[in-house]
Amino acid sequence: MANKIRGVLAATALMGVLAGCGGGNGNNAAPNDANQGASSSPSASASASASPSAEATGGGKTTVQFWHSLGGKNGEYMDALIKRFNDSHPDIEVVGTFQGGYDETVTKLQQAIASNTAPDVSMLERAYVQMFADSDVLEDMKPYLDKSGMSPDDFTAGLMGHSYFDNKLVSLPLNRSTPILHVNKTLLDAKGLSVPKTWDELKTAANALADKGKGQYGLTMPYDTWYQLAMITQAGGKFFNDDKTSVDFIDNGVGEKVFAYLKDLQNAGAFYYPPQQDSGNIVNKMFTEGKVAMMYQSTGSIGGLMEAVNFDYVTAFLPKDQEYANPTGGANVTILSGSKNKDAAWEFIRWMDTDPQGAQQFIVQSGYLPFTKAMVDSQEIKDLWAKEPNRKVAYDQLQYAVDTNMDVAWPEVMHEFFSAIEAIMYDSKDIKSTLATFKKEADRILNQ
Amino acid sequence: MPNRGWWALLRPYVMIAPAMAGIGLFVIYPIFYLIKLSFYKYNLMNKAKSKYIGFDNYQKIFTRDDFYQALGNTAVYTVGVVAGTMLLSLLVALWLKRKTRWNRIVQAGIFTPHIVSIVSIALLWMWLMEPNQGLLNFLLKLFGLPPSAWLQSSKTALLSVILVSVWQSIGYYTLIIVAALQSIPPTIYEAAALDNASRAKVFFRITLPLLSPQLFFILVIMTIGSFKVFDTVQVMTGGGPNGATSTIVYYIYQFRTTNIGYSAATGVVLMAIIGLLTFLYFRLLARKVHYQ
Repeated sequence: MANKIRGVLAATALMGVLAGCGGGNGNNAAPNDANQGASSSPSASASASASPSAEATGGGKTTVQFWHSLGGKNGEYMDALIKRFNDSHPDIEVVGTFQGGYDETVTKLQQAIASNTAPDVSMLERAYVQMFADSDVLEDMKPYLDKSGMSPDDFTAGLMGHSYFDNKLVSLPLNRSTPILHVNKTLLDAKGLSVPKTWDELKTAANALADKGKGQYGLTMPYDTWYQLAMITQAGGKFFNDDKTSVDFIDNGVGEKVFAYLKDLQNAGAFYYPPQQDSGNIVNKMFTEGKVAMMYQSTGSIGGLMEAVNFDYVTAFLPKDQEYANPTGGANVTILSGSKNKDAAWEFIRWMDTDPQGAQQFIVQSGYLPFTKAMVDSQEIKDLWAKEPNRKVAYDQLQYAVDTNMDVAWPEVMHEFFSAIEAIMYDSKDIKSTLATFKKEADRILNQ
Repeated sequence: MPNRGWWALLRPYVMIAPAMAGIGLFVIYPIFYLIKLSFYKYNLMNKAKSKYIGFDNYQKIFTRDDFYQALGNTAVYTVGVVAGTMLLSLLVALWLKRKTRWNRIVQAGIFTPHIVSIVSIALLWMWLMEPNQGLLNFLLKLFGLPPSAWLQSSKTALLSVILVSVWQSIGYYTLIIVAALQSIPPTIYEAAALDNASRAKVFFRITLPLLSPQLFFILVIMTIGSFKVFDTVQVMTGGGPNGATSTIVYYIYQFRTTNIGYSAATGVVLMAIIGLLTFLYFRLLARKVHYQ
């Protein structure tokens, strides 16, 4: 009997472990981080794993492995970009591989680095850059930049926030976005309202536009930390303090103000906070159906929304409280230190950033923000902005870009911040005590 | 011959060596690796930056509210799914016991969810449970009942996930119980009929005891399976709202990127819990199982 029990015990114990390990593999995680809007805009929601067939790489060709997180339409644009590069570079072959959403790419990249099978170049969601750089796995690109006669000043300053770590240039912007206010102007005009510029105006407009009978809301935003981050900085706060030893927005009452503002609107039926699964698509759908008049959402969804709406659709800066402010999002591009083909890898990045046939085309097609000054000055972008002023607003807002959540520990703190957001927005838990709990956890993480 | 004695001694070990090599490589080594990881603040990408922190991860687990929430959710889920599935499959099996054509069609229908991918099922139920346009709320309103928020309220989310899991697994376990019912010798029932035994007595004194090996098997298998629930949670709720459906395996999964040492420690705790549960089952219930 004792033997039998032991055997069963061991067997079940093993199963438990397998269960624990199995969790990390293969399951298609919805990207919960700040930028799901960018990759899940309506036009790009069908994600197809599209990796261009690696053609024969004989004849002294250098192969560069490139991992990215762009599926659907944006993935097609990226494949086209890679093809343009390969066609113009007979000695280099870039193989692009779609690795799932941002979070999934990060998980796979961690495992690949641990087992020495990492790619040469990878797209990396901007908030994870610090975490990877802290592990010394990202190459300093400054020497390459110098060699090619380029300078960090060639890039749009507002998008370089996550590029440096310990004075090393560890990543460069690629597909970047910011949160922005999307407005159904037809609905606003019907009530004689103008596009809100401040929190007070936003509150008035949202309340005026809410209509329970028609199931219509004034304002919505996807489930994310991004928009609360934006509002914290608008109210004059910072997420981390300057020493990165604690969170800065709680003791000074900023956090309470932000959440109380959202909660008041929610309780009045003017603000719709979506369920967390698939929230980006849910709010986009509501907006295009005219069920919500205003929406905080990524600039990456402008293209998809423009195709889908049949009303007067405009974008505007996120309304200010004390000041205009917004975080940035999207992904950067990095060279992994373990790469054996760094020169070829750099040539790919250099070509994307400087050649008019490079990332510029991708930007025009996808709707991400232009990230070099040359792109912004190019005739192509100017024409695009003349035709679609909504996209220019997105770029102009970058002058107020500020990222106060930059730290090695952000991904871990983000997890706790999500818990606080859920407790307050879904379960109406007391704001003050929830934020106090969050601060305690964040401090513990930051000081370990 | 001395060689013979050697061989007799070694033979069993040589025989099981291939199997043990596989088990050692894919089961035993990973367990020890997992235990090792749980004592570190581990940096997957740069081992030099990993830090040995002793029992800190474990201490953290037992002082964090969200772990207890996940544990509580898992317990409620397990009890709900195991009790619900066993009871319903038993009832359905008793109904479908007789081999008629109609019963076979019903049985095939009930079994179908089992062969459909759980991800598809989860997505389907998400549509049905959508609070504004979903079919379930439409039906509730039709009968004059108040609509439910289903997955979107922390009060009903876990129950909704349990409902889907039960719905999916009934068919499979019904099949097992039906097979067991049909293998009970009819002579026993005939004897009971001759003695004028009541139906309740026949069920509790004959059917249930003779089903006990299968029911015990289902109980153990389902408890272990339910403790490891992940897919429905991942697809339907992402652990939310506000951690209301966060189960232990999902909890482990959430820390995969940021803190693999902590994930590992939670995995060890899960292993201990499942081991303990199974041990208890065998201790307390094994004697009540009747093998023919």
